[in-house]
Amino acid sequence: MSTYLSKRLIYMFLILFAASLLIFCLYAMTPGDFISGNIKLTPERKAELRDIYGLNKPLLERYGLWMSNAFRGDFGFSLAQQKPVLQLFNEYIWNSFLLAVVSTFLTWVIAVIVGVISAYKQYSWFDTLVMVAIFAAMSIPSFFIGLFLIKVLAVDLKWLPPGGMLTTGSNATGIAYLKEVIHHMTLPVVVMTLLGVGSLTRYFRSNMIDVIKQDYIRTARAKGLTERKVLFTHALRNALLPAITLVGFELPALFGGSLIIEKIFNWPGIGQLYMQSFGLRDYPLLMGFTMFIAILTVLGTLISDILYHVADPRVRLQ
Amino acid sequence: MKRGIFLLTSLLIASSLLVSACSNNNSSNNSASNTKSTTTPATTTQETPATTVGLTEPFTATDLSKLPAVAQKRTDTIIVGLTDPSGAFTPYFQQSGYDGNVSSLLYASLVNVDDKGLPVPELAESWDISDDALTYTFHLKSDLKFSDGSPLTADDVAFTWTILHDKAYDGDSQVLTLNVVGGAAYKAGTATTITGIKVTDPKTISVTLEKPNATALVTLGSNVLSKAYYGKDYKFGQLDYIKKLHEKPVGNGPYTLEKFIPGQEVRFVANEYYYKGKPATEHFIYKTTEGDVWQFVETGEVDYASFSATQENIDKLKGLGYLNVIPYTPSTYGYLQANLEHEQLKDKAVRQAIAYGLDRNSIYVDANQGAGAVANIPASPISWSYTEEGINPYNYDPEKAKELLDGAGWVVGTGGIREKDGKPLSIHYLGSKSKNTDIFIAVAKENFEALGIKFEPEVFADFNSLVSKVEGGDYDLVSFSTAMLTDPSDGLLQFIDGEIKGYDNPKFKALYDKGLSTTDIEERKKVYKEIYQLLNDELPVIFTNYKKTVYAYNGKIENVTVSPFIGLAGSLPKWSLK
Repeated sequence: MSTYLSKRLIYMFLILFAASLLIFCLYAMTPGDFISGNIKLTPERKAELRDIYGLNKPLLERYGLWMSNAFRGDFGFSLAQQKPVLQLFNEYIWNSFLLAVVSTFLTWVIAVIVGVISAYKQYSWFDTLVMVAIFAAMSIPSFFIGLFLIKVLAVDLKWLPPGGMLTTGSNATGIAYLKEVIHHMTLPVVVMTLLGVGSLTRYFRSNMIDVIKQDYIRTARAKGLTERKVLFTHALRNALLPAITLVGFELPALFGGSLIIEKIFNWPGIGQLYMQSFGLRDYPLLMGFTMFIAILTVLGTLISDILYHVADPRVRLQ
Repeated sequence: MKRGIFLLTSLLIASSLLVSACSNNNSSNNSASNTKSTTTPATTTQETPATTVGLTEPFTATDLSKLPAVAQKRTDTIIVGLTDPSGAFTPYFQQSGYDGNVSSLLYASLVNVDDKGLPVPELAESWDISDDALTYTFHLKSDLKFSDGSPLTADDVAFTWTILHDKAYDGDSQVLTLNVVGGAAYKAGTATTITGIKVTDPKTISVTLEKPNATALVTLGSNVLSKAYYGKDYKFGQLDYIKKLHEKPVGNGPYTLEKFIPGQEVRFVANEYYYKGKPATEHFIYKTTEGDVWQFVETGEVDYASFSATQENIDKLKGLGYLNVIPYTPSTYGYLQANLEHEQLKDKAVRQAIAYGLDRNSIYVDANQGAGAVANIPASPISWSYTEEGINPYNYDPEKAKELLDGAGWVVGTGGIREKDGKPLSIHYLGSKSKNTDIFIAVAKENFEALGIKFEPEVFADFNSLVSKVEGGDYDLVSFSTAMLTDPSDGLLQFIDGEIKGYDNPKFKALYDKGLSTTDIEERKKVYKEIYQLLNDELPVIFTNYKKTVYAYNGKIENVTVSPFIGLAGSLPKWSLK
């Protein structure tokens, strides 16, 4: 196990190094830089500012500088926001995380329950209905559902707020604050869950269908176990195994923010901040955030491999 | 496990950035952005067809009882949407125009501008300009105070001007372009003070320039920073400490910062030390509105928003019943920058032919439901220098355009495309992705075809990419719009500072300098008229359009006026809720 881990860690290090170089080059070579978007500057002042920011240095030297600072834990100042990159992450990521963690939880719970039932009652009217609903939810674009719900629930009926995370100007604390946030996050969470639940339900349904046909399920039934026990203890456990791989991939998604949802619901998350920064070529923020996601992705895969081993001793780690 | 997967993942992450970049949309118009945003793509707003009326007169709310309950309940708070303030609230040190909107409420200026762009006193009681127009002396009002209660003196003004000359200063203040005597020496580190700045007494300060510049009064007369607060840790060449003070501003404007919630709100509270007295409304909030602003206007979550002046928008705003709507023309102009280094556009006759041959009225007025007007000079209709005297309106006239092209030696060749010396006449056009660019391309394609010009449009989703392509010189025409122009010379700067490559007209340069050499408005008007006539004839760029917008605000708010130059900041201290 420990040799396996150390080998994996060395791989991870190499992968992240290669990824950082690649990402840095991609950003640096995208046409235009932070200065070129400011139409108020004269050509001389532009040159002067490129000098101050070090944008006129050779690519590899810039990468080296960024890397050595990053190793010391200094991810630099955002050029557009004039704040340390890490402070910005701290201000925005948790808002995105809140949305993602709640909607991911709901997505999984709903997907498991609905998936199991529709697999058990394969080709029943329930199954057909679920399939139709799932395909409908999967094929409607998120911005459409989002805007439609805002129009109906917020603008016309005024049941829910049209966006944001807090009532403007509110000084609520404690329970009142919590209630306010829940009130505001209902719509975005509903939309995110709707969008995610479809594919996951289908995934569980097909896994479950495979497992139900196995011999050990027939054995369990033959032993006289209750149907509930057969389904949830014997079948579901085995059906969930492949899903562990998915857990690892959820990790970066939890922190990555959702561009469209955050924009539509005016949610103060990292996704929209990142998008803006791209338009402005705010290199330190872009680099910092992309590396953060890369690290989470690599970590997520490692975690899911280890979990897999824990859950299923037949899987050997080498 | 497989390394390939990891690499693939990182590649996917990286490439998804590029893809997502293309989905970047320019949802403009939903903010109170009066200050220049750093990215102002050439998105033209819309305009009204000649048959509809648009909005010429302010419209008053018809039924205040329709005002949503949330807005009814607010009695001492006004909420305005602002796209995205970032938290850098120190003037001169911010990169985003939205932060400029915030700091314009936190800081007052020595000299401000009125609705015509003419200087009016604010923190300065008065000023004197020497006869050689080189020395400006400002006399401050008595008993000025910063929001922490400390006095504001000439030393603070001197400090503000000085740090802008620091070699580490990375903002876009125009003070640097004024050439203050001794400024260059200070920047180079060879002098410890700027010799041209003299504090005579705590209420009097003067500054001497190397060259006369009529914009100096307003440029120098901008916001004042407290020396005691912002200068405490100042050492030459080291300005990073200011970043730590961005979210704890000490100002002298109508409001002070109460709380900044990133991505959500900027909360202000009235400043009791404001030189004109405490503002009428105790609380003011800039609410971050990233997406569409309609949903917040319709639910009463914001009290004030700006919209493109399309007939559709105007009708909808009027229909809500609880909003006052005022028409507004921003101080900008749109233009097609021509590549003067390419053979075909070097010739004035070809540029004029394009101006005649493009149906600008259809593109910028009719197709935009009236939210715009056709431009023929580099100044907005609201500027004091604006004139139509002796200006060729270049009304749509394809026959005239053909005549000009024939005269320039471009004759129709095979396939209907004009040629000269065996080279076809083609136009490679660049535009930012927007609805208006789509309209432009659709109409221009037809127009150019009729003239026998080959039209090759290319659309960019991302403004910085577009600019970098222009800098590389691979284009013939490109759509741009200027940032907000205060002085008439602002709109001319691009013809002088090398931004428009290949335009070199000594007569224009002489006139440009003449326009800046005097501060007498009548004198300057004459010079600018001459400049506009010259540029209107030469067309170093092809002038296209002006935008038209409307402001809609909660009918309960009184005393609202919006200046094209300083936005709502000028009248905000007087806003009150009835």
